[in-house]
Amino acid sequence: MGPVHHDLAGEPTFEPMIQIDMEIRTFVSAWRHCDYVSTYMARMISQNRSDSVRHSNLFSSAFNELLEVAFRTRHADGALACRVSRHGATDRIELTFPCLPEERQFYEEAVSQVAGFEARERYLNSVSGDLAPSREIVLLELAVDYNATLRVEEADGDAIKLVVDLPLEGLQH
Amino acid sequence: MSPNDLLPRFKAQYDANNQEFSISGVVRPQAIDELGPSIALLRDAIGRVRGVLYVNVRRLTQMNNAAFHAFSRIIIDACRARPDLKFVVITSSVVGWTSRKFGRLSGIEPNVTVEEYDSQFYPGQGFLEEGGFVPILRTQTKMTWRHERAILPRHGMRPGIVMADICCGIGDFAVLVQKEFQPSRIVALDHSISSLNYARRVMREFDIRGIEYTYGDASEMLLDEAQFDLVTCRHSLQIFNRPELILKELYRICKPGGRVYITNEKNSHCLGEPRAESIRWTYNEVAKLFGHFEMDVELGPKSRRYLMEAGFEDIRVETFMVTNLDGDPQDFADVIAAWADVYAGEMATRRGDGPEFVARFRQGFQDHIFAALHPKGYAGWPIWVASGRRPQ
Ligand SMILES: C[S@@+](CC[C@H](N)C(=O)[O-])C[C@H]1O[C@@H](n2cnc3c(N)ncnc32)[C@H](O)[C@@H]1O
Repeated sequence: MGPVHHDLAGEPTFEPMIQIDMEIRTFVSAWRHCDYVSTYMARMISQNRSDSVRHSNLFSSAFNELLEVAFRTRHADGALACRVSRHGATDRIELTFPCLPEERQFYEEAVSQVAGFEARERYLNSVSGDLAPSREIVLLELAVDYNATLRVEEADGDAIKLVVDLPLEGLQH
Repeated sequence: MSPNDLLPRFKAQYDANNQEFSISGVVRPQAIDELGPSIALLRDAIGRVRGVLYVNVRRLTQMNNAAFHAFSRIIIDACRARPDLKFVVITSSVVGWTSRKFGRLSGIEPNVTVEEYDSQFYPGQGFLEEGGFVPILRTQTKMTWRHERAILPRHGMRPGIVMADICCGIGDFAVLVQKEFQPSRIVALDHSISSLNYARRVMREFDIRGIEYTYGDASEMLLDEAQFDLVTCRHSLQIFNRPELILKELYRICKPGGRVYITNEKNSHCLGEPRAESIRWTYNEVAKLFGHFEMDVELGPKSRRYLMEAGFEDIRVETFMVTNLDGDPQDFADVIAAWADVYAGEMATRRGDGPEFVARFRQGFQDHIFAALHPKGYAGWPIWVASGRRPQ
């Protein structure tokens, strides 16, 4: 399948597929929630992909990283909302979660770097570097290994919304 | 939360004989200490090996970045500390992200190479996948279906179930099941991309719903445990050199209380009249020919033992004979002609058979066709059906 076509009006229409909301407190009470949510949602949205099983594995793999990012938020109040919508071969994840103002700034910078030229190189450096992968590197990896495009959108209150487009259907053989 | 939460969902092993470290399952730790013993095992393996260390991630279904970084660092450090050492990472063609993610390592350290493992194909597969063979496969399924549609309900088939057809080939069985029994979901897996493409095209053209085709390796499937009420695997255990490994996987994905259904042949029991002797000789040779390639097309009657040894209970076995009297005898003849082409063609050539053998070998197929088309003739192809229940 080809890339997403942007019509003259700009944004293509993404059809909503599934949404899960929960209190961030509940979410961060157990690490395993990242795995549960990513696996469950991956399975639900992959059923009508051309290879549901492999799509689900790939989707869960990418989505879990995002959830692990949200898990590390330093703001303990508010809601986590995960929404998946679809346009052709692309699945869009919108992940909204509470965060501190400085974290929001950090995400905005991280996401703007992802689009940069040296994204791949910076990712490779991090793999051979000493530090465990930071949240920035995790976002970078989505772009490098899953061809994801990322952006940050405004959200109400002390929250941030990460919008990640994953063209996974085109990634398989 | 389930009690499963307390169990680690991954396994790391080191096989000293093959200098192979393998890690499998779902590796999504919150903190790296959760990986302590596996990391120690890898370090220890690196300390022991000479030459090459194989890192097998074929059965790794998930690994988060934190864990990937932890393992990568050890490999990268080892490359720097010991330039004499090479690493070969073996990924799976089925799990899409592994080759990409681990592939990066070779860009960082030239002593790391990444190989994508592909299950070996059985002889004749190339030929069978060519477009020309598809009508024969369909005819074959059409002939067995006349029997199996009546047999299947005795082995757990009923409307509304969730089922899997493993080694589904071109998907024609899945389509017939869908129409006749309306299960709520069918997952159909095969390791042939061209067969799956064909199956998907049929599904689109005939607007069939409820079948999910997936590319996979039957000996290590991405499918979750205990998902299916019925798992079918037709004419395929017999093509693997270690059918017990496949059965183990079929067992794993079957729900407790669900059933695994297998069909297999005993080729030496194909028969016909007239010209019984020549036919018998040839099909005996078919069994030997497959044996040469480590495939057991005599497996049918051994199904009961295989199922018992795999841990199934309430095992049911029956046989049916596809004959020239079911439907059009020409269908039967066409199937035999196609077998002759592959068996006395590519396969015999690959074994290095001489012209004299091949001529006699072909003759038996000709005689089987003769029997099938003879107005007073009878020709048969026996199939063994067996199923077992996964204990609760
Ligand atoms: C003899 S055919 C049977 C096909 C089908 N079940 C039928 O009855 O027509 C064997 C099938 O097993 C598939 N196969 C071979 N190796 C496999 C593997 N490792 N994993 C999954 N399928 C495999 C082949 O692609 C082929 O479609």
